[in-house]
Amino acid sequence: MIIAENVHVHFRRGLLRRKLQALNGLSLEVRDGDFFALVGQNGAGKSTAMYCLLGLLQPTSGKVKVMGKTPELGSQLYQSVAYLPEEPHYHLYLTVEEATRYYSSLYRRRVSDKAINEALERLGLAQFKTLPLSKCSKGMKQKVGIAQCLIHETRLLFLDEPTRGLDPLVVREFREALREIHQRGATIVMNSHVLSEIEMLANRVAIIDRGKVVVQDDLQNLLTLDREVYGVAFEPNGSMPDYIASVEHVGNVVKASIPKERLYDFMDYTKNTGLSVHECSLKKASLEDSFFKIVKDGRAPS
Amino acid sequence: MSEVLKANILANFAFYRRSRLLMAFAFAFLLLTGLSSLPALFNDDGVKSFNALHQVFSILNVFLLFLAGGLGLFIISSHLRNRSLKMVFTKPCSPALWLASAILSAAIVSLLLNGVVLTCAVVLSLVWKVPVRAGLVFISADTFIASLGIIAYMVLLATLTHPAIAVTFVLIFNAEMFYGAHTWTQAAIRSGSSSVALRVLDHIFHGLYLALPMIHAYGKQTDGIDTSLRVLHGDWKYLFYSLGYVLVLTAFCYFVALFALQRKRHI
Repeated sequence: MIIAENVHVHFRRGLLRRKLQALNGLSLEVRDGDFFALVGQNGAGKSTAMYCLLGLLQPTSGKVKVMGKTPELGSQLYQSVAYLPEEPHYHLYLTVEEATRYYSSLYRRRVSDKAINEALERLGLAQFKTLPLSKCSKGMKQKVGIAQCLIHETRLLFLDEPTRGLDPLVVREFREALREIHQRGATIVMNSHVLSEIEMLANRVAIIDRGKVVVQDDLQNLLTLDREVYGVAFEPNGSMPDYIASVEHVGNVVKASIPKERLYDFMDYTKNTGLSVHECSLKKASLEDSFFKIVKDGRAPS
Repeated sequence: MSEVLKANILANFAFYRRSRLLMAFAFAFLLLTGLSSLPALFNDDGVKSFNALHQVFSILNVFLLFLAGGLGLFIISSHLRNRSLKMVFTKPCSPALWLASAILSAAIVSLLLNGVVLTCAVVLSLVWKVPVRAGLVFISADTFIASLGIIAYMVLLATLTHPAIAVTFVLIFNAEMFYGAHTWTQAAIRSGSSSVALRVLDHIFHGLYLALPMIHAYGKQTDGIDTSLRVLHGDWKYLFYSLGYVLVLTAFCYFVALFALQRKRHI
């Protein structure tokens, strides 16, 4: 669906035209039907990467192919593509209904009033039809963007930090709408800082750091990057075996973690020494754990 | 394609209708025009009525030229500054089509306003019992043609630079200014100055005068119509000449603006 190969983007800034490297050999592949998430720190190059994939920014070097074509502004390629920007860069002088009709008309297909009304109804915007976008909340504006995906059976949807600044209720509705679009067969590419959200939605993740993809893998593989561990809490009795890690003393109780494969060793240890165990539970690594391991510690998955 | 063009033009009309800045400018100018024409409403002298009609009509036509500049400037700068073109160009609507729709919608609004001003002038002529002259139609058509050129030029400048810089550029660097400068250097050369710098300056001013767009390309030839509102049979051809000049100018501005728009790194 999308292939980016060794994409470099640099800007020239300031009076001295200082070179700023935004993308530094970014390569990624998004497969048909993926819910693909781009993750990275602020300034890592996520939005720039998305602009390149959308054709809004021409790379300094490298190759970008979307559905087999090089993306160019306003080309026929966009017939089945939708984009929801980070900031609501909509035509703020239009009302909710006018904007939905206008954006839909740009797809060069006749759109019935019924289809527009149904989409607005589905997203809870029907009662705000005559409200100018300038007076709408960010969530409502994002829903106007989503309405086009529902009207036009979008095949490829780009989302740039779509839930930033939205309240939890709207985030939930938004998430449901995205699931619906994905279930209809659309490929979704999303930038987000909200790792818990990515865990809920995405099936593939690319972690970007300093303008290049450091890891690109299935979400499940990234979640098992840091092997599953057991969290234990017990009252110590003398020296502890060396496989007990992350030891933290809370009063006379020790909280620590042990590798999954050493569970039986730990059980033997507690039986032999007569330890009082308060807690022993399986702890799965989150995407956040994996992200920090990769970006901060420079670890890559095995 | 026509569906997309129509959708863009309708959206642009909504922009003009709801642009408070344009509305405020139009309201202020119309208020001033209304106040300045108030005395004429209370005199029944034929000559004074003609002068009043001439004055009101001239002011309104100048207003239309300024407004045309505003229409061209705001439609581009507002969309570029709001970054809302991201939502347009990531759909099957090319920059070429959008830019054409921007110029067309400004031209349509300008045409409508020219029609309104002409109608007002005809109504005032009838009320003040001044003969309705063909000059009114000629000047209205000429103003509309000039408006087209101004719209295209402002569209180009707004695409290239910040709107404040665009306005400053138009007010300072215009053909009339360089014509004045060229006349001054010519006079200095004729009075005996043999300075090489003056001759170089003269060539530069003349070149800039020719290169920069003119509002009324055949203004000298049609000067009489502006004062008498009478049109001679041979005068009408200047409208077509002006139209030809403006169409070439519009095409040039359109293609340069399109090139600049496509080359912009951040839409």
